[in-house]
Amino acid sequence: MAFEVPKISYSGKIKEVILGKGDKAVTVGGETSYPLHLFEGGMPKLPRIAMEVYDMPPDDWPEAALAPFKGVTDNPVAWAKKCIDEYKAEMICLQLLSTDPNGLDRGADEAAEVVREVADAIDVPLIVWGTDNHEKDTEVLRKVCETCQDKRLVIGPVEEGDYKKIAAAALGYNHTVIASSPIDINLAKQLNILLGNLGVPDNQIIIDPTVSSIGYGIEYCYSVMERIRMAALTQQDEKLQLPIICNIARETWKTKEVKIPAAEEPKLGDTKKRGILMEAMSALILLLAGGDVVIMRHPEAIDLIRDMITELSAS
Amino acid sequence: MTRGSTCNKYTVHFKPDNIDIVVDEGANLMETAVAAGVHINASCGGAGVCGTCNVLIKSGQVESTRTDKVSDKDYKKGIRQSCQSRVTSDLIVEIPAGARLEKAVLTREIGDITTQMQAALVSGWRFDPPVKKLYLELIAPTLEDNVSDISRLLRGIKQQYKLENISVSFEVLAKIAQIVRTDNWQVTATILLEDNSNSKIINIEPGDTRTRHYSFAFDTGTTAVRGQLLDLNRGRIMAHAIDYNRQISYGEDVISRIAWSQKTGGLKRLQQAVIATINDLIKELIDSAGIEIKDVSHIVVAANTVMVQLLLGIDPKYLRLSPYVPTISTAPLLKAKSIGINTGEHVHLYAVPSVASYVGGDIVSGILGAGVHQGEESTLYIDIGTNGEIVIGNSDLMLTASCSAGPTFEGGGIKHGMIATPGAIEGFEINPSNLEPVITTIDNAKAKGICGSGLINIAAALLKAGVITQNGKFNTDLPTKRIREGEDGYEYILVKAPHTQIGKDIVITEIDMDNLIRSKAAMYAGYKTLFKSIGSRCTDVERVIIAGTFGSNINIENAITIGLLPDLPRDRFIFIGNGSLLGARLISFSVDLLRDGERVAGMMTNLELSENADFMSNYMAALFLPHTNADEFPSVIIKKG
Repeated sequence: MAFEVPKISYSGKIKEVILGKGDKAVTVGGETSYPLHLFEGGMPKLPRIAMEVYDMPPDDWPEAALAPFKGVTDNPVAWAKKCIDEYKAEMICLQLLSTDPNGLDRGADEAAEVVREVADAIDVPLIVWGTDNHEKDTEVLRKVCETCQDKRLVIGPVEEGDYKKIAAAALGYNHTVIASSPIDINLAKQLNILLGNLGVPDNQIIIDPTVSSIGYGIEYCYSVMERIRMAALTQQDEKLQLPIICNIARETWKTKEVKIPAAEEPKLGDTKKRGILMEAMSALILLLAGGDVVIMRHPEAIDLIRDMITELSAS
Repeated sequence: MTRGSTCNKYTVHFKPDNIDIVVDEGANLMETAVAAGVHINASCGGAGVCGTCNVLIKSGQVESTRTDKVSDKDYKKGIRQSCQSRVTSDLIVEIPAGARLEKAVLTREIGDITTQMQAALVSGWRFDPPVKKLYLELIAPTLEDNVSDISRLLRGIKQQYKLENISVSFEVLAKIAQIVRTDNWQVTATILLEDNSNSKIINIEPGDTRTRHYSFAFDTGTTAVRGQLLDLNRGRIMAHAIDYNRQISYGEDVISRIAWSQKTGGLKRLQQAVIATINDLIKELIDSAGIEIKDVSHIVVAANTVMVQLLLGIDPKYLRLSPYVPTISTAPLLKAKSIGINTGEHVHLYAVPSVASYVGGDIVSGILGAGVHQGEESTLYIDIGTNGEIVIGNSDLMLTASCSAGPTFEGGGIKHGMIATPGAIEGFEINPSNLEPVITTIDNAKAKGICGSGLINIAAALLKAGVITQNGKFNTDLPTKRIREGEDGYEYILVKAPHTQIGKDIVITEIDMDNLIRSKAAMYAGYKTLFKSIGSRCTDVERVIIAGTFGSNINIENAITIGLLPDLPRDRFIFIGNGSLLGARLISFSVDLLRDGERVAGMMTNLELSENADFMSNYMAALFLPHTNADEFPSVIIKKG
């Protein structure tokens, strides 16, 4: 008797969300099975990768992370173009690090202007990520929404503490929101309900469950994402039937294990290889847990993940 | 300054009670008030962190450690935290309305006697009190019939009442010779049933006193103690009394009481405080019924485990330490007098057995009164007090849990929270067109604060009107001046200062909402966790019995709207009032029910929620109005926007 693969039957489907607009718009979601369980259901849109760009030169990156972007880190537009032209980025995530009130504390107008310049210069979808500070994000992201009206940006993080004003602006100026909650299935769902009550349609929401690197609690992130997908696909939990985005690169590249030079800790091996693998492995784990978009940094880590997605989705 | 060896004495006069007390220099003002029998609310048990025990020093001096609980304005007026103040001169002290615990107002519930009588759902029991009076006409001894007085008494009981295996208390031995000869060998013996087969003669009186046969039933709550005087001949309630548990000055909840008991002399102090409360109630009960204390033969007390241990003087320390084991579940019968209760020497106290550290005899008592153990219907029993206790089950199995709901429903942790007394805002509606409130208070008195049932009504109305969102935050975009930013974040003004008793705007804040949401989430997560553990769901419940004084006043519809009660057909909800007192009374009337109570305590399995992962997950899901999973509350419709 031939072997039969045991299969789960699913009753739910992840909604499709279109990121960006025009020819290069990216559609994510649409799954009718657990991630890459292609033998059980469909994954019409494969997971996508967005490449990071910062609005100020990073001062705490290891050499390995900086090397691919030499010469462009002080120019977000050039940086974004390099990612697209040279590293074939399908999406850009502009991290508004300069607006951090505990850092440069750059004002909303100036930050929004940078976003507009980048948005004007590229044709792939643009994700704009604030600093996780409710007051500052409210100020900055609202301004960004207004300045980049109809650019169909992906704006976040939008959290329980600041969702009203940011989401209202995103809704008013026609952008997509990143609903960000602190690693809890219930909090994720509650925020989606609140956004829904505010009038944000499901196809303008993507979930950020909050993620962390290998060695820093990624098991917990995995478990929460897995539960979100189980609720969405097997328990018809409509408010969780949305794609998931994972802002992972910034988490992996700040860890001690990545930053410490090989000279200081020879047992950890080559610094560059270590950083790339740490990023790639973390991203892969999140994709297996249900991530639809991963935000990544190093071109070699990205290549590894692209290969992996291709192989895992081969029929 | 040193406090000299010649210790000065000062007189402290408390207003509005007009009570004087003389104390040593340096005496703590809050303890002075307690010693004088003046009730001061002290939520934190004198740790100086709650600010509820503030008093006004009208004249004289105190030495006071100042904390941020007294504002500059109040400090200038002479307001001091009594727990942080020491007496350094003669004083006149006024207890402001907010800090005062008024006994009179508790009597609101006494009107409920008849409903409480009807509320006993238990059926099929015999009227057969565990303490009986037997009248005997003995044959006087002669030279031929010269057995001892005791043998003569026992022989008489055997002949007239067919009772054997009876022992005699030492007190009876000591006085029997006189008593039997006082009224020509006609005596009344009081017999206490000790266990299934043994009884003991605990008292003997000359003549026939059978018509005067009474007992007390007490519900010794963390906040209030309720007592009833019972007629053991007719099975009737003769009098009711209620007062705050005087332990309240040592903390509002059981945890702070346990903490207090660990201080030097603390346990003794707490025991004395509750016994003083009981003694006052006893006096009130016998005075109002016009009976004599010597005719009272029995006491039944139902209380939570901590209260029982404190009443009996048993160190409660381990009740709050994992794995939360009580010292006793069934306390031996003990003489009430031996712990200082003002009754005759012969009166024994029976404490209804408890199940676990946080599931006490009060719950066993309520389950008994509600007859949960008798039927096959799947029942959810809820007692919302300072803690929320829940039981699910029927005649086959019972599962219990205690949810740390906190004192929210008794007004604790709420900025303008108070217990359900005159002036408490209870009824609340909101005009959807202009978002103005329509408020009713208990007894239509000027508003003073918000009681637990009021809080539920307010939250439900605000939610339905879209004034708060489902996470309990104010919708600040609404066109109303009622919502403003206050010192604790956003708040909604319920009553403006000129229309209140306290001279300040009465508001409900986002912090209040958070506390309410946490409390109701703990309750709801408790039901769900219990049901799941037996492979069942809330929707399978055939009846929900709501016990407790607070419970009797809640609006079912609104409680469901905020997710405190499960969304079931409304006719499945039954109120039984104070279940604890109900059970204590029934046990006083029936040996059958006393035995049933012991059986019920034995058949309950306690689920410890504080260490239960499923509970935490259910709790997180319930931190939303009404719930994260809207499917569980199909009848609740939330306004969007």
